[in-house]
Amino acid sequence: MTEKLKNIRNFCIIAHIDHGKSTLADRLIEKTGTVSSREMSDRILDSMDLERERGITIKLTPTRMFYTLNGEEYILNLIDTPGHVDFTYEVSRSLAACEGAILIVDASQGVEAQTIANTYLAIDNNLEILPVINKIDLPSADVEKCRKEIEDVLGIYAEDCPAISAKDGINIDEVLKQIVEKIPAPRGEIEAPLKALIFDSLYDNFKGAICFVRIFDGKVKVGDKIKMMKVDKTYEVTEVGVFTPKMQPKEILCCGDVGYICASIKNLSDTKVGDTITNADNPTKEPLPGYKDVQPVVFSGIFPVDGAKYQDLKDALEKLKLNDASLKFSPETSVALGFGFRCGFLGLLHMEIITERLEREFGLDIITTAPSVSYNVYKTNGEMVEVSNPSMLPPPAEIERIEEPMIKLDVYTPPNYVGAVMELCQDKRGEFVDMQYLEKTRVVLKYHMPLAEMIYDFFDSLKSRTKGYASLDYEVYGFAPSELVRLDIMLNGEPCDALSMIIHKDKAYARGRQIAEKLKIIIPRQLFEVPIQACIGGKIIARETVSAMRKDVLAKCYGGDISRKRKLLEKQKAGKKRMRQFGSVELPAETFISILKTDDND
Amino acid sequence: MIETMIYVHIPFCDSKCLYCNFVSGIYSEEIKQQYFLKLNKEIEYNANKKYIVTSIYIGGGTPSSIDSKYVVELINNIFTCFTIKDDVEITIEANPCSLTREKLHDYKNCKINRLSIGVQSLDNNCLKKIGRKHTRQKALKAINLARQCGFNNINADVLIGIPNQTYHKLKSTIKTLLKKVSHISAYMLINEPNTPLTRMIANNEVKVVDEDKCVSFYDKIVKYLNKKHFTRYEVSNFAKNDMICKHNMGYWQCKNYLGFGVSSHSYFLGERYYNTSNILEYIHSEFNYEKHKLTNSEKIEEYLMLGLRTKYGVNIEKLRSLGFDILTAKKTELDMLASNDFIQILDGAIIVNNDKFGVLNQIILKLLPN
Repeated sequence: MTEKLKNIRNFCIIAHIDHGKSTLADRLIEKTGTVSSREMSDRILDSMDLERERGITIKLTPTRMFYTLNGEEYILNLIDTPGHVDFTYEVSRSLAACEGAILIVDASQGVEAQTIANTYLAIDNNLEILPVINKIDLPSADVEKCRKEIEDVLGIYAEDCPAISAKDGINIDEVLKQIVEKIPAPRGEIEAPLKALIFDSLYDNFKGAICFVRIFDGKVKVGDKIKMMKVDKTYEVTEVGVFTPKMQPKEILCCGDVGYICASIKNLSDTKVGDTITNADNPTKEPLPGYKDVQPVVFSGIFPVDGAKYQDLKDALEKLKLNDASLKFSPETSVALGFGFRCGFLGLLHMEIITERLEREFGLDIITTAPSVSYNVYKTNGEMVEVSNPSMLPPPAEIERIEEPMIKLDVYTPPNYVGAVMELCQDKRGEFVDMQYLEKTRVVLKYHMPLAEMIYDFFDSLKSRTKGYASLDYEVYGFAPSELVRLDIMLNGEPCDALSMIIHKDKAYARGRQIAEKLKIIIPRQLFEVPIQACIGGKIIARETVSAMRKDVLAKCYGGDISRKRKLLEKQKAGKKRMRQFGSVELPAETFISILKTDDND
Repeated sequence: MIETMIYVHIPFCDSKCLYCNFVSGIYSEEIKQQYFLKLNKEIEYNANKKYIVTSIYIGGGTPSSIDSKYVVELINNIFTCFTIKDDVEITIEANPCSLTREKLHDYKNCKINRLSIGVQSLDNNCLKKIGRKHTRQKALKAINLARQCGFNNINADVLIGIPNQTYHKLKSTIKTLLKKVSHISAYMLINEPNTPLTRMIANNEVKVVDEDKCVSFYDKIVKYLNKKHFTRYEVSNFAKNDMICKHNMGYWQCKNYLGFGVSSHSYFLGERYYNTSNILEYIHSEFNYEKHKLTNSEKIEEYLMLGLRTKYGVNIEKLRSLGFDILTAKKTELDMLASNDFIQILDGAIIVNNDKFGVLNQIILKLLPN
């Protein structure tokens, strides 16, 4: 059995976004003949439409490959990982299931923010790191400079690291060879009680919840009684198997293996990612360390456009949560939007991905409110409440102080944009901490900044001010007191809760005016004049008016051509379906998110 | 016995106006012959003496532009194929250029008793802008001629929102007309896609009258006509001394009508169908009506959509008989609309107030069943 372990390599690929992770994964799969060329499609591990379209990896996707070196056959288990900052959590999940990581660095761009962040994550997980320089086919590729950067910035020996082109299939063999030679074989006791880590899960309508596992000790086969240690539930195994990358049933999974377990698990919440599976009859004493629970940092209300679809939305969120443990949600009621959910996300991209998946995979029409962060509100009676929904902010008289989440922000930029980046950070209430030259052409600027400023168009502004050259990384480090107020928007004299926001008092006036102007454009003319007012604590700071509609269409109805009128009516009816009734005012669904987007003249 | 109205479409014109996108055009005499041959066949194909015709409307196109023998033949054919009610209203559309004393006599002889004349404006500059071939003098002469020939039920079409039109010009047109006609249809000019006028607007060759201005013209005209005893009985239609167009009114009351000719629509016994819009296809293919039976909810929707356009509004009892208890189902909306003077509920009917017709569609949308 140790013979078998010796020939297994479990690894993942880490990289900054767009450095070619999925392309390398494709090449490895192709080179090892795991998938026939007929089945081969670009970015084979990115199975979601969304992933392929946006060219990003969101979910972990494991696959098993065979590779022969010096007459010995090896099983290589690859777990693909996401690269974006929002998905650091998912990366750490796959790292815990591996012994090694391929670190891809783009030969023309060198070490980037996420390269560093993910490398540290891998080092923290005691993984063997195997640097690979990719995209050497590009004219701007500078392999030697890249090698030096890996050694200088990351402190990883890179003298013999493979220089490859995943796109053109150059030097892929060298990567496979080094995986076998450099990444350690898994360790584990086949005779010890079962110890398997759930690193992901998926819901299948026929098989129930499927656990993606890495077996650390022992073995598991069909018919075994297994126990989820944290949730304390027992099941009988109905199927075990590996990923080819399609799921392929096997008789048994042994220590060192990466595979899946089905056990007719009906309840999604029983397969908690990070939990340890053991044998119910012969349990292990100590569960695996698992993962730390991640805390969402960005919050937003999600409501069905059609109020009757509340239950559908709930089911969809539950299904998504099953394999995205970082998604948090709880019921919320809004005067303007009815019943929905307040959802917590790891970041803005995460929020965008979730809303898009709700719309595409579940066919739901949803309304999203402007994202917010969670504030610690200290009341005069000594109590502290966490407020992530602006409309829940206690009255000003009851508030002693409000603290907002702060981030440590690193912006990586070419030196000629330092001025522009500093200006932006200052504008966003950032506090300068440090500036370092990583090398002649790259500077890192360190700031302390409120998270709330980060979620309000910071990324877009940064990209536009640096022509796309800057990248960033951030981490929430704590809370700091701040002079915050609630900005309310009143429509036709009624405060619209879904449009309220918590904002720094120095920025409230400008934002209030900006939002009122924006709403005037978005809200269509109605039967009545609609006054739009922005106010802080009852004081009106901006006012705009949507004048009343005077005419829609008085079409001539000729020769009994009713169908023409009907068409018009149907069109208007469909438009109305997408409207939200707020008092006597009808609001288009996009009203609630559009106030977040800034205009060019901002 | 079933009462019905009849619409006949004549797709021929001597020239095409710049704003027009109706099925009409300039065709050879040969095509006209073939067309009427087919048209009469269609009438015969639908012949049924159990149908009592309450009104006939010959529209177009410009029905007055064709030789009146075609019209006479057509009317006679309808009289042969259907039962005709004693007080039948028979309208023909005409333009000022093509109306002659001879044609008018022929019309009169075959029992046509109502004329609808496409005056559009009495301002020569406005007429030119929209590509009408007649002048103010010609229009007035045509109306006078019709009156001399014994027509006392005459409608004049007037357009609101012609490029360069001012309220003054519009009012002067109306002022002159209302002394000579019994009915005025005032339509707002719609810039239909693919018309020369719409292209000219896009190329900045002509300037449109903006929407708000159009509405204020319209509102003022409504008041003015009211003062002169022309009552608005439907969004665009005004009649003196209750000389309402029965045919027109029938459309808004969801009455039966049979449509004959290219692009004509029919609504008969709850079924809707229409002919092809291609004249050659009409001439050369078999009659093949694809009938769509209206569902109950479509009937409710159409009754609301059409009925609210008229001064009689919609009848609450009739809605209830269709299964829609509007007073209960739309209580909030009705209260809101009534308290803000958009509508009133009078004698079991919901009626849109005179000055709120501009937003009629919005009102309709609020009252449709969910």
